[in-house]
Amino acid sequence: MSIPIYTYDAVIVGAGLAGNAAARELQKAGKKVAVITKLHPLRSHSGAAQGGINAAFSAKDSEELHMYDTIKGSDYLADQDAVAFMCNEAPKTIRWAERMGAVFSRTADGKIAQRPFGGQSEPRACYAKDRTGLTLLQTSYEQAHREGVLFFDEWYAADIIYKNGKISGVVAFNIRNMDKAIFNANAVMFATGGYARTYKINSNAHANTGDGLSIVARHGLPLEDMEFVQFHPSGLSGSGILISEAARGEGGKLLNSLGERFMSKYAPNAMELASRDVVARAIIEEIRQGRGVGPRKDAVYIDLTHLGAEKIMERLPELRDLAITFLGLDMIKEPILISATAHYSMGGIPVDIDGHVRKDNESFVEGFYAAGECACVSVHGANRLGANSVLEALLFGRHVGQSMAKDLDRGIALRPASLEDAQNMLDEMRFVLENNGTERVPELRTLLQESMTENAGVFRSEETLKKELVILDELEARYKNIRIEDKSKIFNTEMQEAIELGHMLDYARFIVDGALRRQESRGAHFREDFPARDDEKFLNHTMAYRDANGKIVSYPREVVLGRFEVKARAY
Amino acid sequence: MSLETKKVNFKVFRFNAERDFLPYYEQYTLDVTHEEVVLDVLNRIKWEFSGSLSYRRSCRHGICGSCSIKVNNKAVLACKERLFDLVELFGDELVIKPLSEARVVKDLIIDKKDFWAKYDAVKPYLIDDIDEAPEVENLVSPHEVEQILDSEICIQCGNCFYSCPAIENNEEFFGPAAFAKAYRFAADVRDNAKIERLEIVNAPEQGVWDCMKCFECAQACPKDVNPIEKITKLHNMYFQEGIAKSNVATRHAYAFKRSVEKNGLLDEADMVLYAERLDVIKQMPNALSMLKVGKLPMPWNQPKSEKLDEIKKLIKSSSTVKF
Ligand SMILES: Cc1cc2nc3c(=O)[nH]c(=O)nc-3n(C[C@H](O)[C@H](O)[C@H](O)COP(=O)(O)OP(=O)(O)OC[C@H]3O[C@@H](n4cnc5c(N)ncnc54)[C@H](O)[C@@H]3O)c2cc1C
Ligand code: SF4
Ligand code: SF4
Ligand code: FES
Repeated sequence: MSIPIYTYDAVIVGAGLAGNAAARELQKAGKKVAVITKLHPLRSHSGAAQGGINAAFSAKDSEELHMYDTIKGSDYLADQDAVAFMCNEAPKTIRWAERMGAVFSRTADGKIAQRPFGGQSEPRACYAKDRTGLTLLQTSYEQAHREGVLFFDEWYAADIIYKNGKISGVVAFNIRNMDKAIFNANAVMFATGGYARTYKINSNAHANTGDGLSIVARHGLPLEDMEFVQFHPSGLSGSGILISEAARGEGGKLLNSLGERFMSKYAPNAMELASRDVVARAIIEEIRQGRGVGPRKDAVYIDLTHLGAEKIMERLPELRDLAITFLGLDMIKEPILISATAHYSMGGIPVDIDGHVRKDNESFVEGFYAAGECACVSVHGANRLGANSVLEALLFGRHVGQSMAKDLDRGIALRPASLEDAQNMLDEMRFVLENNGTERVPELRTLLQESMTENAGVFRSEETLKKELVILDELEARYKNIRIEDKSKIFNTEMQEAIELGHMLDYARFIVDGALRRQESRGAHFREDFPARDDEKFLNHTMAYRDANGKIVSYPREVVLGRFEVKARAY
Repeated sequence: MSLETKKVNFKVFRFNAERDFLPYYEQYTLDVTHEEVVLDVLNRIKWEFSGSLSYRRSCRHGICGSCSIKVNNKAVLACKERLFDLVELFGDELVIKPLSEARVVKDLIIDKKDFWAKYDAVKPYLIDDIDEAPEVENLVSPHEVEQILDSEICIQCGNCFYSCPAIENNEEFFGPAAFAKAYRFAADVRDNAKIERLEIVNAPEQGVWDCMKCFECAQACPKDVNPIEKITKLHNMYFQEGIAKSNVATRHAYAFKRSVEKNGLLDEADMVLYAERLDVIKQMPNALSMLKVGKLPMPWNQPKSEKLDEIKKLIKSSSTVKF
């Protein structure tokens, strides 16, 4: 079979905020660029962001304060140079998005309006009602499209071409008809988004299967801080769909089955407004102790009825609508059911500020870049603050696009691709299509998601994590014995789901392994057997790679400090 | 509190362009809960019974526009449509079909290239010299933002486009979503191409004057974009900008206004007659297809809208021109 080889200066995988922003920069710099995305760009998960995007530009605020809040929020694991860069560039970036057409909510005098958000000393989240991500995603795509960027949408990137410390392209297939292609390129960027779908209850889109991470890891390249997964306290019971922080911000009370306002036990001062990880743990603890509510007893109540219909309709109309759709409950009349939901991936492909992918602590992979939620720069450390991640995606996406253009100008050699480069993908597709086993993908995926939630979720311990490793071994073995029904070439979504499960199984191991190594509790990572933070041993990033035998090997990378002193994190 | 359930029969449209000559239906009887939406059922069918069933989906909560389908001929987002609501509306037999049978490639997946081509045609991006490193933002008043908010939230799901009778008869017609997009930028005070945009959507056969004002798009839209209202606003811009000439277009607009004022709903036959005079014959295929979707009431039972006052108010507020 012959597979076409296309040649580009730069190929980007992913068309969320990060991918679109990078593509526009490259196109404007006169580079020949292609974007591969498994969804139409406007369907990317960036569009789901509700609350806001941070920039310090109000009179009382400062970049310095934004840095401080971010670093404190990260439980001091963020790299302070990257955070400083982000916070300094934030005002310009948001105004640039506005100039490109983003429809922000405005103050009476016509400026971009800002709202308060958890963990922020000043109101600095710029917003567009409760659909900030949507306007930003549309704007980033529209202006990339206007510049003439070429998008290969509904194309699935299955592999990178990586040899001898250098990347030379991406191998992909067209989801519509299974046409395959090799995208040979001088520079490749990953902007493939997050990985929270490894958990049963999550707030993420079906597409957020974290493919990019395991594609990288399968070549023996490292991933960073994978154990840090943020659990948001308010996901709708059952579906995990996000009810934004606004529900607590507006005065929502959390109640257990005894009708107790239980946050008084866990955070007597901040109560419901304590930080995300604290509230998420409190909720799960109540459920574990048998004080859960709802048909599955897997939730607690959030009661907003005291706000009254008028206030709810004015401030929280979308949230009310979501609860009616997914629970059949009207928050004006009755409390609704929520629980912690896996929401955001702090870990990812390790990169420096300019997006260069790290090969190890000393060197970089030539021609390889990453940005957005799939990357770990790291600006969020152990816990990201609300409204900082769309900022990261847009800002670093753009900056990395510029950095690629610069590197291309300086010269990155093109290593010509050949048909053998498609072999991994062809093998993978053949395996999934032709393997004639007895296991079913949806069942294995459910087992993975349920066990990860149970054993590597909000609470972890050596015991649960080791148990999870055994389960992962088992699932991996069973995965080798799968069979799918659909053999057709057109929109074979069953094959795609199987390939995605393969990715999830691969990087889930990094989450568990990292969590096992980190014998402390920091930010979103909570070890019941090591409930305190241990700066002496663990004020460092987890770098981990898979060796030739498939075993995960990890080593620390120093956190970049220097600007703010490391202190206890108390709110 | 427990999960309420109902037994529902689903007839699911199946077709694979690679293999099938004709579509067929598969039937499933499932207990559904009061928490489930249509997408949950599609997932259950795919994951438990028929792995090859294909449909688009991603976000799961009505914000990415992937999952548009038709249930008993009503265009919906699968992820936002509660089964209990559908059962209340249609009873316990639900027929799940692609948005457009003519464009189906596999099961519930259609080829949307016509939809995207129309999107592209209206220059769907802000046209301005972009300051790449601005120290300040453009100043835009809350009132000015208000003008474009509801058109900006279009998620390009295509529900309106594939429910529009004008598209069905005339594949050149840009369609409701593209008009909403054209309006979104034409009404943006930061945009520098208002006249150019108005000219694009003024084109005969393709443009806003060929809308049949059936309100189907407003009903089909899951995000309350209300495309037909944006179309009227575009109509008004032509008069405000002095682009409209006394031709079919202006007569159309006049007839539209008169009709709505009179009945609340549109007397389509009357309006087409008025506007096209003796060219009525040309409109026959349109009229027929509108009959088919139940949009063309017979003159003897011309309904009066229950919301007549409201619609009149809307017309007043969106019409600043004297015809
Ligand atoms: C419900 C929700 C609400 C949120 N609200 C906020 C908020 O208010 N503020 C905030 O700062 N952050 C928020 N976030 C987080 C934020 O939205 C994301 O972190 C950010 O948008 C990620 O952008 P991205 O460009 O990295 O990835 P995404 O937008 O997820 O894009 C990923 C892209 O990669 C493509 N892709 C992935 N794998 C492949 C493959 N194998 N082949 C081809 N293409 C592939 C996809 O098609 C997609 O285009 C929220 C997240 C969720 C889930
Ligand atoms: S009102 Fe016009 S645009 Fe809307 S569906 Fe009817 S014909 Fe189409
Ligand atoms: S206007 Fe409404 S129905 Fe039409 S594409 Fe946009 S969101 Fe969908
Ligand atoms: S899955 Fe995104 S709108 Fe339905």
